[in-house]
Amino acid sequence: MNDDLYKPFLMSIETARDEAPDVRTFRLRFAQEGDRAQFFQRYRVGMFGLYGVPGEGESTFCVASPPTRTDHIECTFRKVGRVTQALQDLEVGQSLTFRGPYGNHFPIDSWKGRDLLFIAGGIALPPMRSVIWNILDRRAEFGKVAVVYGARTTADLVYKHELAEWAARPDMTLVTTVDPGGQTPDWKGKVGFVPAVLKELAPSAKNCVAVLCGPPIMIKLTLPVLAALGFAPKDIYTTLENRMKCGVGKCGRCNVGSVYVCKDGPVFTLDELSRLPAGDM
Amino acid sequence: MKTIETSRLTDLAQALSAAGYRVVAPVAEGGVVRLREWTKGLEIALEAVPVNSMKDFLFPRSEVVARFALQEEGGFTPATNERSTPKTVVLGARPCDAAALPALDAVFNWDYRDGAYNARREAVTIMSLACAKADEHCFCTSVGGAPDGIAGADAILRPADGGKRLVFEPLTEKGRALIPAAAGTLAEGTAATQTPVAPPRRFDPEAVGRWLAANFDSPFWKEASLACLGCGACAYACPVCHCFDLQDESDRRECRRLRNWDSCGFGLFTLHASGHNPRPDQSARWRQRVTHKFSIYPQRFKTLACTGCGRCSRLCQAGMAIAETCQRIEALGR
Amino acid sequence: MLAALRDAAKKLLDEKRAVLVIGYADRAGRPALFASKPEDCGRLVYDASCRQNLAAYLGKPEVRARMPVAIVAPPAVLRSIVVLTAESQVATGQVLALAVDQDSFLGTFDAAAAAELLRAKYPALGPAPDLLERVQGLSKKSAAERAAFWAEEFTKCTRCYACRAACPGCYCTRCIVEKNAPQWVSTAALGHGNYTWNVMRAFHQSGRCTLCGACEAACPQGLPLMTLNALLDREALEEFDARPGYDPQAKPFIGSWDAQDDHSYMR
Repeated sequence: MNDDLYKPFLMSIETARDEAPDVRTFRLRFAQEGDRAQFFQRYRVGMFGLYGVPGEGESTFCVASPPTRTDHIECTFRKVGRVTQALQDLEVGQSLTFRGPYGNHFPIDSWKGRDLLFIAGGIALPPMRSVIWNILDRRAEFGKVAVVYGARTTADLVYKHELAEWAARPDMTLVTTVDPGGQTPDWKGKVGFVPAVLKELAPSAKNCVAVLCGPPIMIKLTLPVLAALGFAPKDIYTTLENRMKCGVGKCGRCNVGSVYVCKDGPVFTLDELSRLPAGDM
Repeated sequence: MKTIETSRLTDLAQALSAAGYRVVAPVAEGGVVRLREWTKGLEIALEAVPVNSMKDFLFPRSEVVARFALQEEGGFTPATNERSTPKTVVLGARPCDAAALPALDAVFNWDYRDGAYNARREAVTIMSLACAKADEHCFCTSVGGAPDGIAGADAILRPADGGKRLVFEPLTEKGRALIPAAAGTLAEGTAATQTPVAPPRRFDPEAVGRWLAANFDSPFWKEASLACLGCGACAYACPVCHCFDLQDESDRRECRRLRNWDSCGFGLFTLHASGHNPRPDQSARWRQRVTHKFSIYPQRFKTLACTGCGRCSRLCQAGMAIAETCQRIEALGR
Repeated sequence: MLAALRDAAKKLLDEKRAVLVIGYADRAGRPALFASKPEDCGRLVYDASCRQNLAAYLGKPEVRARMPVAIVAPPAVLRSIVVLTAESQVATGQVLALAVDQDSFLGTFDAAAAAELLRAKYPALGPAPDLLERVQGLSKKSAAERAAFWAEEFTKCTRCYACRAACPGCYCTRCIVEKNAPQWVSTAALGHGNYTWNVMRAFHQSGRCTLCGACEAACPQGLPLMTLNALLDREALEEFDARPGYDPQAKPFIGSWDAQDDHSYMR
């Protein structure tokens, strides 16, 4: 493995798109072809990286694009602090640093032939989006695909143009919702919290894998709905976040009990998650 | 047997220095014994465990891990980051320091190999000095160590003849490689090595580990952590603690990405940008410290993250004594 | 003396005038003892080897949640309690001092009464003779020699912040070194960052430091922090007549301006 561990790849910003207030997506190209090849040799969907601006620092986000699209990577992030502010101050054509891919990945090969249910809230769609596109890029290998996505308000929905694309596809089902009071007059989707919308939808748990990502409150209220629908803990996947610095299991910061989110995660089944101490999250 | 008079240890240091080694040794400065780069004229102080550990020389307090040249018109390019790894001998390390090395080797090579650490590790030779006595803070014997333990050491000096002589014993290739340089200062002969006075065993780390794995939410931590004021003195003095922060610093010409020591005891250590903190109080942070050393680390790497050197309790003004915490935990488990 | 101290502490808990008593434990190093049950007070001790300033615990949320708190307080700690009161960090009645000195237990005092006691019994507390000698010795050196002295000392600093943790005057919920937009002080334990940290902390304590010595006692590297603090204490006293810890209503030294202040340095 990489011996000069903290030496990053050099990336240039090909496109920048504002998704929602303070939320932006970058499409990035590797400055060196060798770096790109090295990255895609190891990248599997669900892995994350550290994106940085020299002089400001690094910040951890998932890779929001799938391994099936190998000429670029994408990341989507919200401006919350010093580094994300500096990243958003960058313009198309400018460079940033990238270290990765790190962590474990969604075992999508084990999902072949199964139905898939994706549930996401707000800014948590990006880690899900890479899996959804990975699945769609290999569509024939999987069963039914359904996506339930909600945000606080219409403005907070990310990847709006992709949502329109997904809604138009005959080979998947998309249900979008906003919290009560969050809808604009022209909103055509559902109004209601994600757990409630999911309950109403009542998808079948038979031969189905659920992938779930969202704010803690949404997860907390969605899990009982999935349980009631008959989903087994080993068939529910999520991706965790934690404060990170090195990304490679050495700085001692990201563990939840005996599990290192950067090495044993960030992808976990509910089964694995229930064994982690809630008091360390 | 190869021996040296204890009072002539500086001759050995000088001989190694002349042979091209950077010599690191314990030196007394202003009443404090500190492991530092030795230069001719300095006395080697053997009377106390140094306040700092050997970790300083393998995993420095602050290290540049990536460098970037900054352009005037904005933007940057990656720049070469030279590493300096002089051939070094640590002369007079304690066995509890040397014993930390297998634990550090494990984490710094966990799937991803930390090149900077490994380069320094390769370049360093550890010559331990077996302890003749222990103080009330030492507890090496509780964690699988001993005052004359050899784990992690390349050579060891054992007190003999009432402390007047030291018997030199090489333990590894690196230790043997010292002999040509050291030969002029070592005498052939016999000496009676002393049986060190070992600290009494205070707890069973496996029992502690079992309790920790099963009692994460115990109210024990609230009261046990009350005295802790959340500084980093224990973590920084500890030969095994290795938590770090990555920080960028720049001037007009260059940016340096630094790796700096950090501590799980600090309030901001796990703080998310959102404001959420998984370890919001000192109770959770003290729990993390003890659990990491006695449960998480051994589960992962089959070695404790503590060598019983006692620096943490010796230095803690608030009296947080990890050995005492372990004793109390073991009692709870019974 | 100990009997009187222990009885007084026990009485406070019995009468529920305090929820928690913080004193010194009869163990090597004299770590803090937290007594919430009257019978625990029997273990309180006080002697010259007690070096922690227990008022530092007033910054801990877990302690604040158990107010009123009674603290075993030698004169320097009494001053700290008065300073914290003057700076509105503790409300009247939330902290009681179990005042002690090397010979005797002096009684139980709130901040105002503690200030009166100090004015009556210890009106001119300053650096102990050996500390004074250190300050005077350094003052005799040239500016370049002094700068070199401190630069050398601060190479030993590891930025463990034991000094900050030990000091009751360091109660900022977010210390300046913990702010990153901008990063005011380098967090690397090297030359310029170490210099800035230590000198800055001393300046932030000037006119507020009660010379308790807890920071120097806490420093694992043996840095002569009190020399710096005592130097600034002398400046604050000589230039601004600042005597921290004698008046629970005193205006904060660094934080207040007076028309009578010497402004000749402004040119």
